[in-house]
This record gives sequence, structure tokens and C-alpha cells, in this order.
Amino acid sequence: MRTIAASIAARVPRFLREPRSLLIAVPYFWLFLFFAIPFLIVLKISFAEAQIAMPPFSSILEWTGEKLSINLNLGNFQFLFEDELYYTAYLNSIRIAFNATLLCLLIGYPMAYVIARMPPSRRNVFLMLVILPSWTSFLIRIYAWIGILKNEGLLNETLKTLGLIDAPLHILHTEAALYIGIVYAYLPFMVLPLYSNLVKLDPRLLEAATDLGARPWQAFLQVTLPLSRAGMLAGSMLVFIPAVGEFVIPELLGGAGTLMIGKVLWQEFFNNRDWPVASAVAIVMLLLLTIPIMLFHHYQARELEAR
Amino acid sequence: MSARPRRPILPPLLMWLGFVFLYAPIVILIVYSFNESRLVTVWGGWSTKWYMELIQDQQMMDAAWRSLKIAFLTAWAAVVLGTMAGIVMVRCQRFRGRTLFSGMITAPLVMPDVIIGLSLLLLFVSMSKWIGWPEARGMVTIWIAHVTFCTAYVAVVVSSRLKDFDMSLEEAAMDLGADRLKTFLVITLPIISPALVAGWLLSFTLSLDDLVIASFVSGPSSTTLPMQVFSSVRLGVSPKINALATILVVLVSLAALLGWWLMRLEDKRMRRDMQLAARE
Amino acid sequence: MGQDTQTRDSGATARTPDDRVEDARVENYLQVLGISKDFDNFRAVNEASFSIRKGEIFALLGASGCGKSTLLRVLAGFEVPTAGSIVLDGQDIAGLPPHRRPINMMFQSYALFPHMSVEKNIAFGLKQDGMARAEIADRVAGLLKLVRMTEYARRKPHQLSGGQQQRVALARSLAKGPKLLLLDEPMGALDRKLRGEMQLEVVDIIERLGVTCVMVTHDQDEAMTMAGRIAVMDQGRICQIGEPGDIYEQPASRFTAEFIGSVNILDGRIAEDYPDYVVIAGDALETPIYVGHGVTGFAEMSCAVAIRPEKMKLSHDEPAQKYNKARGIIQDIAYFGSHSTYYVRLPSGFVMRTILLNAQRWAAEEFTWNDDVWISWGDNSGVVLTS
Repeated sequence: MRTIAASIAARVPRFLREPRSLLIAVPYFWLFLFFAIPFLIVLKISFAEAQIAMPPFSSILEWTGEKLSINLNLGNFQFLFEDELYYTAYLNSIRIAFNATLLCLLIGYPMAYVIARMPPSRRNVFLMLVILPSWTSFLIRIYAWIGILKNEGLLNETLKTLGLIDAPLHILHTEAALYIGIVYAYLPFMVLPLYSNLVKLDPRLLEAATDLGARPWQAFLQVTLPLSRAGMLAGSMLVFIPAVGEFVIPELLGGAGTLMIGKVLWQEFFNNRDWPVASAVAIVMLLLLTIPIMLFHHYQARELEAR
Repeated sequence: MSARPRRPILPPLLMWLGFVFLYAPIVILIVYSFNESRLVTVWGGWSTKWYMELIQDQQMMDAAWRSLKIAFLTAWAAVVLGTMAGIVMVRCQRFRGRTLFSGMITAPLVMPDVIIGLSLLLLFVSMSKWIGWPEARGMVTIWIAHVTFCTAYVAVVVSSRLKDFDMSLEEAAMDLGADRLKTFLVITLPIISPALVAGWLLSFTLSLDDLVIASFVSGPSSTTLPMQVFSSVRLGVSPKINALATILVVLVSLAALLGWWLMRLEDKRMRRDMQLAARE
Repeated sequence: MGQDTQTRDSGATARTPDDRVEDARVENYLQVLGISKDFDNFRAVNEASFSIRKGEIFALLGASGCGKSTLLRVLAGFEVPTAGSIVLDGQDIAGLPPHRRPINMMFQSYALFPHMSVEKNIAFGLKQDGMARAEIADRVAGLLKLVRMTEYARRKPHQLSGGQQQRVALARSLAKGPKLLLLDEPMGALDRKLRGEMQLEVVDIIERLGVTCVMVTHDQDEAMTMAGRIAVMDQGRICQIGEPGDIYEQPASRFTAEFIGSVNILDGRIAEDYPDYVVIAGDALETPIYVGHGVTGFAEMSCAVAIRPEKMKLSHDEPAQKYNKARGIIQDIAYFGSHSTYYVRLPSGFVMRTILLNAQRWAAEEFTWNDDVWISWGDNSGVVLTS
């Protein structure tokens, strides 16, 4: 009997394993080739030197007949730390992304909260109203704000007509415009995870809290808020990480004084054609974002695997 | 919704303000797309001349057509790859390299576009040096880039649906004599199909919307719609873009409305049926 | 379906060697031998063995987590056993994947395919076998009639009530005429009132078709109503196999005695050991317990006596018998409609449960809280438990 069982154990897993390994291999191969390997190449090229050639960088490994030489050029990274431009751009990006995330949280939380408390049939309508704007072009929605915010734009003209101001407010190409743009573009990404977290909150918990004598706002602070921490974290990471590397918003709404690192990378690549420095900028940005990305991954993986 | 003595006023007010913030710019865009005047602030009367001009802009139309083609092809590939990845995420709890795999699913959701764009471009350049492919960058490289990040989105959508899937349905099918493949095709796939449709639409819009990644990996003759819009927006406000925006908004809203209506119909029917069944 | 329903009554006529081979096949239609299943160092099923007659309804009864569902899933083929073999109608099936086994299962959640109509659900298994379309239609029509669901053939599962869904699930699992039918908590998703009706209806259908059946349940009433024999499981092991009456009246272990029904268990040791009776002395009672059957044991061995509450008598006066009685005070009374349970506190502190039918209560003596009473029971009421 043991031998029969053993032969079964040897036979059945293979029957299960074969289609399974193909299932894993295909997406694994694609993502590994087009998502993981590219980072290694960026890392490699960040140690190269810029050249006027195609491709415009030196090779790191050189085979000169008998000698294999590795030329690691640390100059790009040194350059990043010496030039104040990069340094400020990094700090600016993190500061602006952080503040914008807080703003999104402040605006998004009440929206998610109210929608999650609605009867189920109305929830879907309002949820769709939150998502709908993000299905239309991102670029065009940012563009819309140029027309509103510029000196002779709609906002200033309206305020002037109402007699509230004499001289136009300078909003476009300032940090305020950046905040408006980021919050506007990323608000749905904050509301969605918050909503899906809050909607799972058992309303009986709040009833229990009020039953035990908590006022509504106390119940909110002591029950709802702590229990929605995972949703707040996920939403915040979904806003913060892409906002740090944002290019379109600082390009269209920001000004000379509000340099962000995504725009620096773009200019380094497209305008200066210095691929190695652009790569070094990307590598440092990735290092700065490692912890937020891991936080997000931790949350998301748990969300996906929890059964 | 519970029997609280006093309905709180502040949260709903804040929510409505949030919606005003989300929709006001879009409404303004639409209104001004019908403005006769070129200036944003001056109302010159109703006109559809910017729509005519948009249609006559050959470059814009070419770019739009190209973008639609890429988005269409991206959506199909991403649904296939993303569904596989989603199943792996939920069903294959243990295999070598799983940590890296789930990392490659979640990271693209937040990774800044400039980094994805730059890294893929450098990959394509290196590949063409080593193996001679791709010879030039263009629609194919944009398609690969879009499929890569859309796969992650589809995987998330599919796996969150698959998580709620009752495993005993698959077991029942196998118990009744269907093998694994047949069970997947006849039982699993039809039941999770709403997630596949959602993933397809999401990929389509994401691909249609991407400016930054496409800018990195495109070639000289493969300008996409967002790239074309971007270069014209950089030069200043143009009512033509307002017209384009209006068309996009109308199309998306119609699609969403249709989807919502169908869902509501199905939902209503389902609930009525269940009530009837319970009463019998 | 399609199987002849020759069963129990074939023993009376003259026997030939062929008959005996056939008998063995009928007697041991399903043989489960030493099945074990490990999950990550946790043994869910521990060397379970039993065999089932053709046409029998056999129940695996146990609390949740006792391994009964895992054992059922091993039979269905969803779990590969760590050790052991399964022989069904002379064929070793342990190596077959679920879709090749002549076994069908009715799932606890019914697992009706939500995107298929009732008739498509029932036809699913037949379609997998490549049966001709006309034949499938015939067979489905027959099954729909059998479970009284003909007029619901075109409905989708969500358009059915719980009981109707269960009938469809039953029809679907019977469609292929399985050699073995598995029922996983068959009444688990129904409300209490519907359960009783459905239990009898399901048994009726299964017996009419003569299908051999293994069911899993945590509900002892359900097992006793539906099954011909019951296997009580605990911590992955089968503790006892027997007919419902045997398991109730002659529990082999303390676990079985406590799990099935309610029971008073008195610890003690054997004071006098004779072939046809034993006397057991314990701390709970002032008098020894006399049990009218012999046990395999020795004097001074520690053991326990199980006495069912309904086998006890309650009286105000001291009974005449020498053994098997105790004095106490009524501490609590629980009213259950048809009967009441009295909790009698003995001088030793032990609380004894006794049951009186309420009809009796009105007729004879009245008992109430804090009454001084006597409990007594007969020589054959107690069962000695040595494990």
C-alpha cells in the first residue's frame, strides 16, 4: 500500500505542475525582461561616461586583447551631489509630493467616507463619478488648469469682475499651481483605496462605540480612523511615489523656482542628451523611493493574497 | 444611514466641494471648446469652428489613429498576460522567485513614468546593440512598454476578482469530469469575465493616455496623440485642444454611462429574481 | 442510476462460490485502507480505515477540524493522501485525478455554476463524457422529474431558493450515475425547518436509486436521520463505527459518549470484576455503581461510567435498590418543551443531569428548585468506558 501511495505522490504533482509552470513562466519572462532588467541597465549606464555617439555613452566593460577592464565612472553621482540644482530638485520633489499627499488625504478622506456610508446602489454612481475624470486624458486635465490659473485666465478675470482684486494673482508657474495640479490629478487614487477600506468597516463597530458613550466624532477618531490606516497608507503611497517623479505637472504648471526631479531627468535626457547623468538621476530617485515602494508593495501584496 | 438623531452636514458638504473641484475644469474646457474667440477669457459667441479645425489637422488625426491602434493592441496583450499574472498571484502561493514576481506586479502601479520610460529606452538601445533588435523604435516599442505596465493593472483587477472566487465551483467541474484546462475555459473564465472586461478598458485608456513613457521609447515617425497634444499645449492654450478634450470626455462618459446602466439593469434583475425565489 | 439494487436481503438463499465473490464485492464495495493526510507537519487524517456495503449511506461525523472534510476530499480526489489506498468496486482509484473518478460530490455551498441554467448545470457532467445530445436531454428530464424541479429547468441558480438549489445540486451529482456519491454537509446551507424535510427527501432519492453514499456532517441528528452507519471522528482518527443506535447506546470511548447526545460521566475504579458484571467505586457517589456487563480490565483499574440522563429516575423517596442511586438537591431546571433537564447537585459536588418527559411531569410527582431528591438507574443503564 505504501508503494502505491508513493507512486501516486510521484505522479500527480507532475500532472499539476506542467500547465502551472507555463502559466508562471510567460508573465514572469515578460515582466522580468521589460521591467526588471531595464533597471539593471539604468544602473550600468549611470556608471558610464557621456559621449557624442550613438548610443551616447561609453561602455563599462572593455576587452583590449588580453585585458578586461571595468571602467566605473562615479562622476555622475558626484556631479549630482555637487551641483545644487539636483540637490534642490530632489528636496523640492519630496517636499511638494509630501504636502500634496497630505492635501489629497484631507480632501479625499471625507469623499471616501461619505461614499462608503451611502446605500449600496448610490455608492457605485458616486464611485464612478470619482473615477470618471481619470479616464479622460491626464494631459488635457492639467492643460485645463493653465486656462484657469494664468494671469489673464478665468480665475483672475472672474475675481476682477467681482471687484475682489485689482492686479491679477500670480498662480500659474508657482508652487500653488503645482499643488493644485497634483491634487487634482491624483485625488481619485487617494479616494479609491480609502473607499474600499472604509466600505469594509463594520458599521456595528461604530454603533458599539456610540452605545458605549462615545460621541460621533470620538467614535470616528477612535474607531474609524485607526481602522482605515491601511487604506490611508495605500492611497498616500499611490499619490506620493508617482508625484515625486512627476514630469507633466511641473512642466506645464510649475515655474523656474519650482524645479522637480522628474523634469530634471527629462531635460537631462532630451535637452542635454546626457544619458549617464539621466540614469544617475533615476537611480538616486529610485533609492529615495525604495522605502515608500516597499511599503506600498507590502500593503498591496497583503490585499491581493488575503483570502 | 443609521438611526442617528442628527445627520452630519460637514462630510457631505466636503464631498460635494471635492466633486466641484474635480469637475469644474472639465466643464470649463467643454464650454470654451465652443468659443468663437481664440482667447480663453473672452467669450466670442458659440461656434464649432475649433472642431472643424481639429478634424482638418492631419498630424493630430494621424497621431490619434496611431494611439488608438496601440491602445487596442495593448489592451488585448495586457489582458492575456495580466490574467495569467493575476491567477499566479492568487493561486500559486509558493514557487521560486515569487517575491520578485509580486514585486514586478505592484511596482509598476506606482513607479514614476520617467523611470519606466528611461529604463525601457535604455533596454531597447542595448538590445539593438547586442542582438540587432529592435532596429528602430516606433509603434512596437511603445506597444511593449504599454503592455508591460498595463499587465500589472490587469493583474491587480483580475486577482481581486479571483480572490472572491468560490473554489468549489472549479472542484465541482472537475468532479463532474472536466479536466483543468476545460474547467478554466468553461467555468473560471466566464465567471471572472467582468474583471477581464474592466482590465481591457483600463489598459485601453491607460495606453491612450500615456505621454511620458511613449516619449522615451517612440521613434521619429511614431508620434502618439498625447505627444502631439503636449507639443501644441507647450506653445500655449489652443481651443483646438479644448475641442479634442470635449470629444474625449463625451466618449468616455457615454461608455461609462452605458456600462453603469447595463450593470444597474443586471443588478436589478438579479435582485428581483432572488426576491421571487425566496418568496416561493 | 443504471445499477441494479440488489442489497441486504440476498443472504437467505443457497450460496455458490461465485455468489461469495459477489458478496465480498457487495460487502466491501468501498474500502478505505489506512488513509493519512498531512499538511505541513499537521496530520489532518490519521490512518482512517473503513469499508462500505453497496447501497449503504455512511456518515462521517465529527466537530469542525476533525478531518472529516479532508477525508471526503481525499475520496473525491481533490487531496492526494500521504498514505493509504482507496478501492472502489474492485478498482484502486487513489491514483486517479478527480475528473476520472466514478465519484461525484454534492458540495456544501452547492457550487452551482452561476452562469448556467438548471438544466445546463445538470447536463454538465454528461457533456464531459461526450454523451449524445438527445440522450443528455432525456437523462436531464428524468433527473429534473426525480428532484421535482421540471418547471425550473431554464432558471439560473440565483433564481432558486435554498432548497431548490440543493435539489439541483443533488440531481447534478447523480447525473453521471456515480459508483459513489459524496455529500459535504448536505444540509449545512439550509435553515433548521427546511432541514428535516430535505433530510428525508434526499435519503429517499438516494435509496430509490440504490447509490452508495458517504456524507460528512457535524450535526448528530442529521447523521442519525440519514445514515445507516456512522463513523465518529476526532483529531483525524476514526473513534468508532456503528449504527446510530449502537453509537448512542454503546459508546466505545469517552469522546463518543460526550459527543453524541448528553451524558453523565462518573470517574472511578473497578472494585469487583466478574465475567457478567462489575462494581465500580468512585468519589462522586456515596454508593458504588453496579454495571450489568463484563469489561476487559482488572480490579483497581481506573475507568469511567457513562449514564444517559434519560435513563435516570427522579424521586422524592429513597429507592429500594442497593446500588445505583444518589441523593441530591435540584439546582437548576431547563425547560425544553417536550422534556425538561434537571441538574441535581450531589453531596460530593458533582452535578448530575436527568431528563424527564414533560407529559410525565404533569402526571406524577412534581419537582422544583431546591427539592431534596433521589436519583436512581438500572443495572444496564451505565456503560463502562475504559478509554
